[in-house]
Amino acid sequence: MIDIMSKDSLKEKHPFAGVPLTKCLSECEIGEELLVISVDAGKKAKNRLANLGIVPGVKITKNKAAPFQGPVEIIVKGTSLVLGRGLAEKIRVRCKGSCTNTT
Amino acid sequence: MRSHGIKERHEHKYKRNLKHRVSKRNRMHGHKRIIKHHISKKIEMQNDGSYKDTINIALAGNPNVGKSVIFNQLTGLSQTIGNWPGKTVERMEGHLDFLGYHFNLVDLPGIYSLSTFSLEEIVSREYIISDEVDVIINVIDGTNLERNLFFTFQLLELKVPMIIAINQMDLLRKRKIDLDFKKLEEIFKLPVLPVVAVHGIGVHQLLEEAIEMVVYRHPHFHYDRNRFPGGKHHSHSYYRTEHVHKKVKYGTFLKKEFKFPDLNDISSYGKEVESKIRQLNGIIKAQKKHLYKYNYPSRFLSIKVLENDEEISIFFEKNEETRRIMILAQQMREQLEKLHGEDINTIISSEIYNNINKIVQQVVITKSDVKIETIADKLDHLTTHSVWGYVVLALVLFGLYYITFSIGDYLGGLIDDGYNIITEGIYQLYGEDTVAVKILWDGGVGGFFGAVSGVLVLVVPFFLLIEILQDSGYLPRAAFLMDRFMHSIGVHGKTIIPMILGFGCNVPACAGCRIMETEREKKISIALTSLVPCGATMTVVLGLVGRYLGMDWVLVLFAINFLVLIIVGKFLNKSMPGECTELIMEMHEYRVPNYEVILKQTWVRTKEFIFKALPIIIVLGIFLEILVIFNALDPINALISPITVFWLGLPAITGVFLIYGILRKELTLVLLGLLAGDLSLLLTDIQMFVFSLVTMLYIPCFATIIVIAKQTNWKYALQISLLEIVLALLIGGLINWGYVLFTIF
Repeated sequence: MIDIMSKDSLKEKHPFAGVPLTKCLSECEIGEELLVISVDAGKKAKNRLANLGIVPGVKITKNKAAPFQGPVEIIVKGTSLVLGRGLAEKIRVRCKGSCTNTT
Repeated sequence: MRSHGIKERHEHKYKRNLKHRVSKRNRMHGHKRIIKHHISKKIEMQNDGSYKDTINIALAGNPNVGKSVIFNQLTGLSQTIGNWPGKTVERMEGHLDFLGYHFNLVDLPGIYSLSTFSLEEIVSREYIISDEVDVIINVIDGTNLERNLFFTFQLLELKVPMIIAINQMDLLRKRKIDLDFKKLEEIFKLPVLPVVAVHGIGVHQLLEEAIEMVVYRHPHFHYDRNRFPGGKHHSHSYYRTEHVHKKVKYGTFLKKEFKFPDLNDISSYGKEVESKIRQLNGIIKAQKKHLYKYNYPSRFLSIKVLENDEEISIFFEKNEETRRIMILAQQMREQLEKLHGEDINTIISSEIYNNINKIVQQVVITKSDVKIETIADKLDHLTTHSVWGYVVLALVLFGLYYITFSIGDYLGGLIDDGYNIITEGIYQLYGEDTVAVKILWDGGVGGFFGAVSGVLVLVVPFFLLIEILQDSGYLPRAAFLMDRFMHSIGVHGKTIIPMILGFGCNVPACAGCRIMETEREKKISIALTSLVPCGATMTVVLGLVGRYLGMDWVLVLFAINFLVLIIVGKFLNKSMPGECTELIMEMHEYRVPNYEVILKQTWVRTKEFIFKALPIIIVLGIFLEILVIFNALDPINALISPITVFWLGLPAITGVFLIYGILRKELTLVLLGLLAGDLSLLLTDIQMFVFSLVTMLYIPCFATIIVIAKQTNWKYALQISLLEIVLALLIGGLINWGYVLFTIF
């Protein structure tokens, strides 16, 4: 469930956003290696994530997802970090495999 | 305990050395010679009191890196817990004497950066820069180097005397990874030391390093490959500088005189950002007179004004000229944000991480690339699995109770049997109806044994298990699994951690709620945690309902309790302004719990119970016997009987115990048992049920209320108490009257 707002704001920033090259972290498969494209969270959360090393251009791996639409665990810079689902939905990533095929 | 051992061994060595100094001089080398110098320094200082012999140290670092373990190893049990003045942030302080110096240590809250996004960060920043502290020890988790170095880089900008301690080196080496300490020292131009905090390895060296900084006022190099060729670990090439002849004048501030190394080559940012910062730096330096009193280095101010840091902006607002700098910084920020298409915090964070990346590539020595799946990994999979994870969580909670109560029940039975035998003897010797026997034996000793056999035997195993859970790293997994559910009651997954702790004792659990990031979450978490049935409440529930009505009814009580918990959560979520934030949490690898740390923590908590709760129980026991002898219970019970007898349908005698229960909840049952002997004669089934339910819910115990007030404020603590009293009476009364009406028809 990506909200329309974030998609629109993404289009402004990335003119090719309509082409499904990126998706949000919460949608990705487990075990995928991902490249962070943008973090569309609020100022505070965005700053916290930046402090923890989640900035555009950084490689992360999605490691786990909790059941019932729960949080996701990612590996960033060799260590694990758990992010709430709402936050994971706001992190746009590009992945090698599945992204290019989905519409 | 270990810390004392090491310290004593050190001190012992000096004394021995001092005695045989002349005869052993030739044999002494390296370490021992320095120790000798320390002793001579100590003597010098005793002769003339005008030298500085107190060193103030602050431990800073990310959360969960072992800062507190180092702090405990160094200060032992000489700690005081207070609050930062005017803030609800906890301040841990401790002291020790070492090598002739007196050390004051402050354990700063674990933080990720020095911005002003949380109270902890503001408190830390102000303290680090203040004159109250001489040396900062930055504790780093070696297994999480990059993220930890981010904070180190922020500290470097403050240009304070600093020692870098890299912890968890044992874990790192187990993974066949080592760090090049010589290289690290060359890069940071500051002391960098390997530490294994849980085993106390290297922690006292940090203090020696601090002494050296105080004596010399500039950092020294310690690693020399040529000196120890062929050393397998790089840390083996570490040698000490002899640092004692210099005298340190009392009243000099190390910070003002400390020659901080030039770290331009590692802390410079990319070209665009760096040029802007330098430009700002130049202007700020010229305006230093307006900003002098804030103590921050001009480069730090430049970065922060560019970042639009709230607190720094307030400084700049105060003056016309500095306000102009702010406007300039604003323009620069807009330029940079436009150029990079990102906000300024992200840009600067990226720059720092770039610099870190370069360093990490130079210092990390990987000896084996093969990633082996360890038992820790398998455990991790199991405990976060979408099905088995919840099974494990349920088992953990069940096991927590089961093990606690099997051990407690067994030991409690033994103690009770012993007590009964002695009581028989006492009765035969002095007679059963003597006033002295009644007061001292039945009241005092009886109360003591009741508390030991009914409570202490349960509390100790529980604390032990909780410590194991905490130390092993299980709790964040529970937070991971429960995040979704917790969101529905207005908080994120982390709240489950204090709540699980709350099963043991609400007091440390409510104090543990400070891990919550925002005030709102802290408040809701505290309210929820105070509603979790704690160990003491469990004794009442199991001792009464479990024993006489069966476990089914215990489960019913639990269900009601958690229903109340959910309702309160939803209610607070609706009534408090703001929104629930998202979970951002580190999930550390499992580790084998360190038995020393666990035993120490368990002892600290048990000791607190013995010294704080047992005396209350004994005194109250005596007091109660006196009240019984003089028939003074009846008026008190009569006074609150409208509530107890009419509304809740309980015998009048319970009134006084419910009041005592505010002090400690298990008192309701312990004292009731003391008075009645067989409880089934005193209470009917429904009365037992209602009594237990009311005890579960009616109020957080006195100690919990105090902790809540400390963490938030008195108004909130009283609001919570009132809310819980109303809820308990409402539900208890409804059940009672429901039952009465049900039996009539």
